[in-house]
Amino acid sequence: MIEGTPLQAGDTVLLPERIGDLTGLDQFGLAGELLATFLAAFLVGNLMLAMTGVAGPWAKRKITAAFTDRIAVNRLGPAGLFIIVADAVRLLSKELIVPENADRPAYDLAPIVVASSALLGFAVIPMGSGIHLADPEVGLVFTFAVAGIASVGLVMAGYSSANKYSLLGGLRAVAQNVAYEIPLIVTGMSVVIFTGTLQMSEIVAVQNEPLVDLGLVAIPQWFAIVNPFAFVLFLVANFAEVGRNPFDTPEAPTEIVAGYQTEYSSVYFVLIYLGEFLHIFLGGAIIATIFLGGPAGPGPEAIGIVWFLVKIWGVFLLTQWLRSAVPRVRIDQLIEIGWKGLLVLSFANLVLTAVIVGLIA
Amino acid sequence: MIGILKSMATTMKHALDGSTFTVEYPETAPDVSPRFRGVHKFSQERCIWCRQCENVCPNDTIQIVMDDQRNGEQYNLHIGQCIYCRLCEEVCPVDAILLTENFEFTGDTKHDLVYNKEQLKAVPWYKDIDPLESREPDRGAWIGEGEGEVDYQ
Amino acid sequence: MSTGLERQGREVTEDDLEALIGDRALGRDDHLNAPGFVIRPDDVQDVLFDLRDEAGFDHLSCLTAQQYEDRYESIYHMKKYADPTQEVSVVVPTSIDDPVSQSAEPVFRTADWHEREAFDLVGIDYEGHPDPRRILLPETWQGHPLSKDYDQEQPQVVTLSEHANPIQPDHHDQESDTMFLNIGPHHPATHGVLHLETVLDGETVVDVDPDVGYLHRCEEQMCQSGTYRHQIMPYPDRWDYVSAGLLNEWAYARVAEDLADIEVPEYAQVIRTMGAELCRIASHMLALATFALDVYGDFTAVFQYGMRDREVVQDILEDLTGQRLMFNYFRLGGVAWDLPEPRGEFLEKTRDFLDGLPAKVDEYHDLLTGNEIFQVRTHDTGVLEPEVAKSYGCTGPVARASGVDYDLRRDDPYGYYENLEWDVVTRQGCDNYARVLCRMEEVEESAKIIEQCVDLLEDWPEDDREIQANVPRTLKPDPDTEVYRAVEGAKGELGIYIRSDGTDKPGRFKIRSPCFHNLSALGEMSEGEYVPDLIASLGSLDIVLGEVDR
Repeated sequence: MIEGTPLQAGDTVLLPERIGDLTGLDQFGLAGELLATFLAAFLVGNLMLAMTGVAGPWAKRKITAAFTDRIAVNRLGPAGLFIIVADAVRLLSKELIVPENADRPAYDLAPIVVASSALLGFAVIPMGSGIHLADPEVGLVFTFAVAGIASVGLVMAGYSSANKYSLLGGLRAVAQNVAYEIPLIVTGMSVVIFTGTLQMSEIVAVQNEPLVDLGLVAIPQWFAIVNPFAFVLFLVANFAEVGRNPFDTPEAPTEIVAGYQTEYSSVYFVLIYLGEFLHIFLGGAIIATIFLGGPAGPGPEAIGIVWFLVKIWGVFLLTQWLRSAVPRVRIDQLIEIGWKGLLVLSFANLVLTAVIVGLIA
Repeated sequence: MIGILKSMATTMKHALDGSTFTVEYPETAPDVSPRFRGVHKFSQERCIWCRQCENVCPNDTIQIVMDDQRNGEQYNLHIGQCIYCRLCEEVCPVDAILLTENFEFTGDTKHDLVYNKEQLKAVPWYKDIDPLESREPDRGAWIGEGEGEVDYQ
Repeated sequence: MSTGLERQGREVTEDDLEALIGDRALGRDDHLNAPGFVIRPDDVQDVLFDLRDEAGFDHLSCLTAQQYEDRYESIYHMKKYADPTQEVSVVVPTSIDDPVSQSAEPVFRTADWHEREAFDLVGIDYEGHPDPRRILLPETWQGHPLSKDYDQEQPQVVTLSEHANPIQPDHHDQESDTMFLNIGPHHPATHGVLHLETVLDGETVVDVDPDVGYLHRCEEQMCQSGTYRHQIMPYPDRWDYVSAGLLNEWAYARVAEDLADIEVPEYAQVIRTMGAELCRIASHMLALATFALDVYGDFTAVFQYGMRDREVVQDILEDLTGQRLMFNYFRLGGVAWDLPEPRGEFLEKTRDFLDGLPAKVDEYHDLLTGNEIFQVRTHDTGVLEPEVAKSYGCTGPVARASGVDYDLRRDDPYGYYENLEWDVVTRQGCDNYARVLCRMEEVEESAKIIEQCVDLLEDWPEDDREIQANVPRTLKPDPDTEVYRAVEGAKGELGIYIRSDGTDKPGRFKIRSPCFHNLSALGEMSEGEYVPDLIASLGSLDIVLGEVDR
C-alpha cells in the first residue's frame, strides 16, 4: 500500500513559513525565519495553555459536577467562566512555601520540566487549518521522546521535596511510566507499520485515504477503524502514561496525599498542574493524530483545527468520565497489568497489524 | 469489563439527565423543618426568673444575674457554646425562652456570640415559623396542663 | 429472623461459675446485669482463661477501671458471642498505694488497648502488659484525670525535649531497609484526626500502630457531671457524631432505664426503633460513601450519590427530632415528641424513601460492587479472621462480615426489635468486600424494620399514643448500684457502665466504644499488605474518631 500512497514530503506548508510569508519576515534571512518560528511557537503554545486554562479551573469542575448531580461554578460571569481569571489570581498570589530540606535546583526545575516537556510535544502535531509547527521525518518518535521527559520531572519533584509521600509518588510515577511507555510505543509502532512513515503529516495523510467507499460516504482508513484493538490498547496505555484514573497511583490523594506534588504550592503548583493537563491534551493529540485521522473531518479543510480540538477534548472528557466511575488500581496490580498484560498484548497487536497490512496490500 | 462499563453507564446517565441535588444557597435556602432548633429568643416580659433553664443547661451556657430582691437583671446566653439541646425551652414554664428555626448567625469573634437579653429578644423569626405551634411541647411533667394560647410576639 | 436456638451455647449457671472460679473468688460483687466475682490481682489471667475456655465467655466486652476511697477496681465485663445475655463481671480490686494488677492481654487481645486506657485515665498499672503506654492523653501528661486525687488546676508542663519533633531522628533502619511514615493526623484518608505510625518496606506495611486520642473530649467525665434525668442525653449524640445519634442515645436510655427501673411505653419503643434504624441507614450510607472515596481517591460519583441518598434520611430525621445530627430526641422513659403533624405526610415521606431505596441499592451495585476493578481492590484485602475478630472484641458489621453471627438487636433484645421480622446479615468473606456488602445488606434490613414500624405507627390506637412514661424529675438510684448495658450501635456494640453513688449524677460512667475495638484490629488486618490496602481497610472499619477517643 505504501507504493499506492503518493508521498508528498515537503508539500505541507508549516506555520512558521506561513507567518514568515504573511508578515514579510522571510525577507530577513535567518533572523526573520527565527522570529517567525518563535511567533508560531508562541501562538501554538498559548493555544494549548489557554485550553488547559479552560480545562483545569472550569471544565473539569463542570464535568465532575454533571456526573455527580451538582451545579458547580456558576457565579462569576456566564456559566461561571470568569472563575478561570479568579483562580489564576488566587493561585498566583498564594505564598510559595519551599520545604527547608528541599534540594533546591531540582525542586525548582521539576515543575518547569513537567510543563515544558508536554508543550514541546505539540511542536510536531498537525492540528489542521495549517497549524503545524514542524514536520520532521521522525515526528512520532520525537513526541514520544519529549513526553517521556516528564517522568524525569516527576522523579525530580519526588525526591527533591524531602517528603516521604513525594518520594513514594515519584517512585510510583517512574515505575508506572517505565511499565507503560513500552506498550505505548510498541502499539504506536503498529501504526508505523501501517503507514510506513514516522512523519506526522504523512501519518495523517495515509489515514485520510478511504477504506471503504460506500458511494455517498467514504469511511476513511483511520487507524482506530482499521484496528480498534490497537486503539483500545493505546488508550489504556496512554491513561497510565498520563496518570489518569484508573491509573492515577502517582498522585493517589487518599493514599499518598498528593504524591510528587505534595510539597508544591503557588506558582510551582500551577506549573505542575498545567503540565498534567497539557499531558492529557498531548495524549489526546497523539491519539487524534495517529488513530483518528488528525484534523480530518467533514466540512472544508479550513476548519480542521475544530475537528482536532473536538477529538482531543473527547479524550479529555473520557478521562473525566473514567474518573467518576472507576476506582484506582493498586500499585502492584498496575505494574502487573502493565508488564504481564499490556506488554504481551501490544506485541500481539504488532503481529496482528503486520498481518492486516499484508492483507490490505 | 462489563462491570466497568456498567459503572460508566451509571454515571453517564446521571450526567445526561441534568438533575442536580445541590441548591444555590443563599438564593435558595433549603427547607427547615418546623421542629428545627436554632438560635434562641427570649422574652423578659414573660420570664419569671425561676432559673430552671440555667439549672438544666448541660454546659452552663445560660447565665442569669439577679439582684437581692430576686429581680432579674441580666440574661446572657452564649449561642456559640450552646449545644442546641432545647432543654431550656422544654423546662421553661412560661415559654419565655424558645428556640427559633434561625440558623444563620455570625460573629467576628466568639465574644460576639454572647447574647444578652436585648439581643436575644431581637432574634428574628425564621420565615415566620412559630416554633411552639409545631413542637407541641409536652410540659405535663413540669407545670401540669399547658395554659392555652401563647401570644409570644 | 433467626431465633438463635440453633446456636448451642450451654447455659452457664451461677453455681457453675462459682464452682469454676472456686477459691479464687474472694467474694461477690453482683451487678444488675451480671453476677460479679471479686478476685485477687494476680489471678486475672488464670480466671479469665478458665472463663473463656471452660465456660465459653469468649467476648471481653469492656474493661472499666475506677477509684474508690479505699481501692482501685478493674471490672472485666465478659459475655459470649453466642449468647450475650450470659454475662459475668470479674472485679479486680487493687490497693490505693500500689495499684498493680495482672494484665489480661494474653487472654484477650482487646485488653491491650483497654488496659492502656485504664492506666491512662485512672492510673492502674497492669503487670505483664506488652505496651504500657498512655493511649488517649499525650505521653507527657501529668497524673491520671479520673483518679480521686487528680488536680485539675495543675498545669501540664511539656519540656522542650519532650516537645521535640518525634520524627527528627528519622526512624530509618539501616539493616532492614524499612521506612517510617506518619499517616495522619492530617491525611486525606484518616476520616478524622487519626495518626497511624506506619513502618513500610517499600510499599508493604510492616507494622502499623494507630495513635488515637486527638479527639479526646472527656466524654466520660462530662457525663459524670451531668444529671441522669436530662443533662446526659445530649452527649451520646456527640460520640459517634456522623448521624448515628439516636442509636447512641439509646445506649444511654437503655442503661439508665435499667438502673432507675423505668418502663418505656410500647408506642415510644416503636418510634425509637424507627428512628434508630433511620440513623443506621444514614450511618451506613456514609460508610459506603467514604469507603468509595478511599478506593476511588476523589470525591467522585459514589460519594456524592451516597451523600444525596443520606440527605433524604437526614430530612426525615430532622422532621422527627428537630435536628440533623445532634438529635437529643430520646428521654428517659420515652421520646421528646410524638410524630410530627400532619402525621400522614411524615409517614408518607418515610414510605417514599423506602420505596425508592431498592433502585438506589441497585445503582450502588452497578456502580460499585459490580465493578471489576473495585472487586480486585477489595477481595482478600484487610482479612480479619473470625477468631481474631473475637479476640479484639470486634462487633457490628466488621464482625458480621467475618462470619461472627452477633447482633444485640436479636441476641439481647431491646426496643421493639423482637416483634419485627428481619434478619441478621452475616458474610463469610472476612475481607473489605464482605464488609461493604454487609453494610449494604444491613441497609435493606433496616428498611424492612422501618417499613414495619411505619405500618405499626399508622395503625396505632389514637388513645394509646403515650410517648413518655411518668418519670420523676430527679433520679437518684440507690448508691453503689452497678450496671453495664449495650445496644447495637451503627458500628457495633455500644455499651455503657454506670455506677451510682446515691446522688443525681453517676459515680462512674464508662463508655464501651465499638470503634475503639474495631480500630485496634487494624494492625492485624493490614500488616503485610500494601499502603492502599491499609487505607481501604481503615475505611472498611468505618471508624468515627469521636467515638474512638470519646
